[in-house]
Amino acid sequence: MNDRIVLDNVSRFYGEVLGVNRVSLSIPPGITSLVGPNGSGKTTLMNLITGLVRPTRGSIQVLGISPADPERLFRVCAYATQFDSFPRGMTGFQFIYSYLRLSGLSHADCQRTTAFAIGRVNLGEAAHRKIAGYSKGMRQRIKLAQAIAHDPRVLVLDEPLNGLDPLVRAETIALFREFAAEGRHVIVSSHILHEVDTISDQVILLSNGYVVAEGQIRGVREEMSEHPMQVIIRCTRANLLASRVFEQDHVVEVRLHADGGGLLVKTRDADRFYRALNHLALDGVGIESVAPADDNVNSLYEYLIGGEESTR
Amino acid sequence: MMRQWISQIGLVIRLEMRKTFLSRRGLWVYLLALAPVLIFLGHSLSEISNRKERQAMNAAHPVSTAALRSITRDMTIEEVVEKLGPPFAKVEFHRPNGSFDSYQYTDGDNVFGFTFRNSRLVGINERDRDTIPKDSLIFAGVFQFFYLRLAIFFGCVGVFTNLFRGEMLDKSLHFYLLTPIRREILAIGKYLAGLVATVVIFCTSTLLQLAALSLHFTGSEISEYLAGPGWGHVASYVGVTAAACVGYGSIFLAAGLLFKNPIIPAATVLVWEGANMFLPAALKKVSVIFYLQSLSPVVAPPDASMPGLAKLLITAAEPVPVAWALLGLLTLTILVLAVAARKARKLEINYSTD
Amino acid sequence: MAVYKRTYAAYEGSFTPAWSRFLILPRYSFARLWQSKFLVMFFMACFFYPLGCIAYVYLANNLSILSSFGIPTPLGQILKVEPSLFLYFCWVQAAFTYLLTAFVGPSLISPDLVNGAMPLYLCRPFSRTEYIAGKMSVLVFLLSLVTWVPGLILFVIQGSLAGWEWTRANIWIAGSIFVGLMVWILVLSLLALALSAWIKWKIAAGGLVLGVFFAGAGFGTALNSVMRTKYGTLLNLTEVMYTVWSKLFRVTSDSGIPVEAAWTCLAVVCAICLWLLARRVRAFEVVK
Repeated sequence: MNDRIVLDNVSRFYGEVLGVNRVSLSIPPGITSLVGPNGSGKTTLMNLITGLVRPTRGSIQVLGISPADPERLFRVCAYATQFDSFPRGMTGFQFIYSYLRLSGLSHADCQRTTAFAIGRVNLGEAAHRKIAGYSKGMRQRIKLAQAIAHDPRVLVLDEPLNGLDPLVRAETIALFREFAAEGRHVIVSSHILHEVDTISDQVILLSNGYVVAEGQIRGVREEMSEHPMQVIIRCTRANLLASRVFEQDHVVEVRLHADGGGLLVKTRDADRFYRALNHLALDGVGIESVAPADDNVNSLYEYLIGGEESTR
Repeated sequence: MMRQWISQIGLVIRLEMRKTFLSRRGLWVYLLALAPVLIFLGHSLSEISNRKERQAMNAAHPVSTAALRSITRDMTIEEVVEKLGPPFAKVEFHRPNGSFDSYQYTDGDNVFGFTFRNSRLVGINERDRDTIPKDSLIFAGVFQFFYLRLAIFFGCVGVFTNLFRGEMLDKSLHFYLLTPIRREILAIGKYLAGLVATVVIFCTSTLLQLAALSLHFTGSEISEYLAGPGWGHVASYVGVTAAACVGYGSIFLAAGLLFKNPIIPAATVLVWEGANMFLPAALKKVSVIFYLQSLSPVVAPPDASMPGLAKLLITAAEPVPVAWALLGLLTLTILVLAVAARKARKLEINYSTD
Repeated sequence: MAVYKRTYAAYEGSFTPAWSRFLILPRYSFARLWQSKFLVMFFMACFFYPLGCIAYVYLANNLSILSSFGIPTPLGQILKVEPSLFLYFCWVQAAFTYLLTAFVGPSLISPDLVNGAMPLYLCRPFSRTEYIAGKMSVLVFLLSLVTWVPGLILFVIQGSLAGWEWTRANIWIAGSIFVGLMVWILVLSLLALALSAWIKWKIAAGGLVLGVFFAGAGFGTALNSVMRTKYGTLLNLTEVMYTVWSKLFRVTSDSGIPVEAAWTCLAVVCAICLWLLARRVRAFEVVK
């Protein structure tokens, strides 16, 4: 079986409003984050992948299965949507059990699987309470439990960490990592960029319905030559280091920290800079730490999408 | 594959039962079905009470039927009282155009009301006791003009449009669409769920109505009726009720899928079905109510209070034989369901705020 | 611009009059309603019957036109303008307003409840009464345009054709048109708003508006035929209204119910609707 989610020149219009336009992606297994401002097309993309909406143009294949074939697709795929609404009058257990039975599981297997899924999200105590009485975080968790119940190979999650407290958030992220480690696809959309940084294997940045960047975070950053890499260095003799660093022709800017204990360097060639730094370190400048300042999703967002927003 | 589909249909039915029909939200359908039962029950209890009263009155003031029928107009109050004795009930009222007296007599079964104006008899109102054939006609009228066209109609509008359109408004339809079930199977499952609920509710109501109606008759009258056309009528009415749910259910399931506001097609169907008696014979056949009336065991007379001009506009059409009526209804249902299933296949989730 | 860089200052300009602020609601409601082609077409169709009545009135006052078309005069003398003409006018236009209300009414309050807009209205210096008045004014204005406004125009045309004597003798008809149709508009509007507030689904509320009239009429007729009474007619709001109109236009009503009972029925319906509105139009919602 194909192990990729492939979108080939996919467009989706809602009348005259653009959802997504000419999106071509090949998503490998692992945790893939969809990042973008509100209205950029993240949810539309997820809806397209799972067949809740049909593309105006182009084609989609999820592990070789078309979203127009839900009978096959949803044996291997699951989607936890952003909608905070549930069928009326159901308990958490009934909610998962009822829809799981449609997958063809027997009553006993279904009960066991439901209990296991609920246990994975730590909702055992509230399982037999009506969902209408759940808190926001509990509702998020029961949605997640319903999605993972049938052990899918592809998990599509629209803002799954919304409303979760830090402890539950950490547990949920651990669950995603576990899934990804087993070679499954976990597609997550989120606005919490530092978490996207932490959990994602690859990222897809969307803006105004277009894919502006996709791939591993570091790889995307390296391709953005118009934005010099920023490196933060903490050292004992910042002035000396600054003068040495200025001698490098690929360095475009150096800023000393206010406390005199470090500096921010902007360079057009990060690899050459790091090689040079190894030599500079021997000059007695007392380097304490070296870290990239903008090698993260937040910076990618700022450069690629934030710039577009400010010019609007 | 077929076994899986059948199993999934059964699961959808069970899910819908729990979600919709056994919840408080479905209460109004039960009330709609119960309303005519209460009317007939009220009527029967009233008749039982009235009969006891009439018999007691007749025991106190015995008057023969022949004597009552011998009273003619223009007789004075004194002449009537001399022939029949004092009435068991008497009302006097004054109007600008004269003074009126109303006297009531009974022979134990029938009630005779005599209206006098300025002491002269101007009106005789004979109310015979209810018989099963008479009540059958009343039941047929209520069944065909109220129960089928309104109670079952609106019950089906509410139940079947809720199956898809209601879930869209609740923003919970996507849970079905994210399971490994064909959309067509989902549509069939939902339709059957609605059908099971409406058939059970409304057929039970039909049986209860017939039971309530017959409550005030004697055991022998009921046995005689059942030995004759009785059981056939009961089976026919229950069958027509079920057929109405089949026909209207498919139309409103499709309306819920095809239209954002299914009330517009529902209103259109309501007006079309309501105007059915005035349509030409060919157009009459393009309606559910025509086939249902063909299946009804007793033809209800037109509403007595309908204006004469309107009565002139009623067109007659030969009722369709039972087999053709059932075939026509089933064909219509299958065609509509096919359209609905096709639409379900292309369904998209767009929970707009409109 | 970053939030901290913005400076906010209180508004120092003039305020609109407090009494007129409820008119903001119909302004936006109408802007949305007129986007519906179906509504626009149906609204225009509501004027066909008044136009027909105007033609009738004109012909009735100008019988010579009929003879110029070769129509014999005795046939022309069937064309008479009597109070019953205006009664039937009310009856027909009431049917149109009923369908208009079933289409427009449910979208007035239901969406505000479903989308959580009610607290947004009521947390401002805007009372529940103003909210309901604003929503009701949408229906009152719309329904007035197709009922008493063309009705009074018809009366004026008849008066101008028939002469001052006729107008003076029948001026009461103008009052009956206005009062009769305003009562109908009031009942219909309150009913539609109450159902829209009570049933959160716009679609179900529309169905219920249809259901209240049709099912009520059917249930009333069934009650009459089974219980051998006339008081089941009180469940048929159109018949109740017809009884009131018959009294206003001094025409004999065959509904069988006294006009006092009809007025009482309408008052009870209005009271129930106001109670439903008072229960539902709140800034908070209790979820069980």
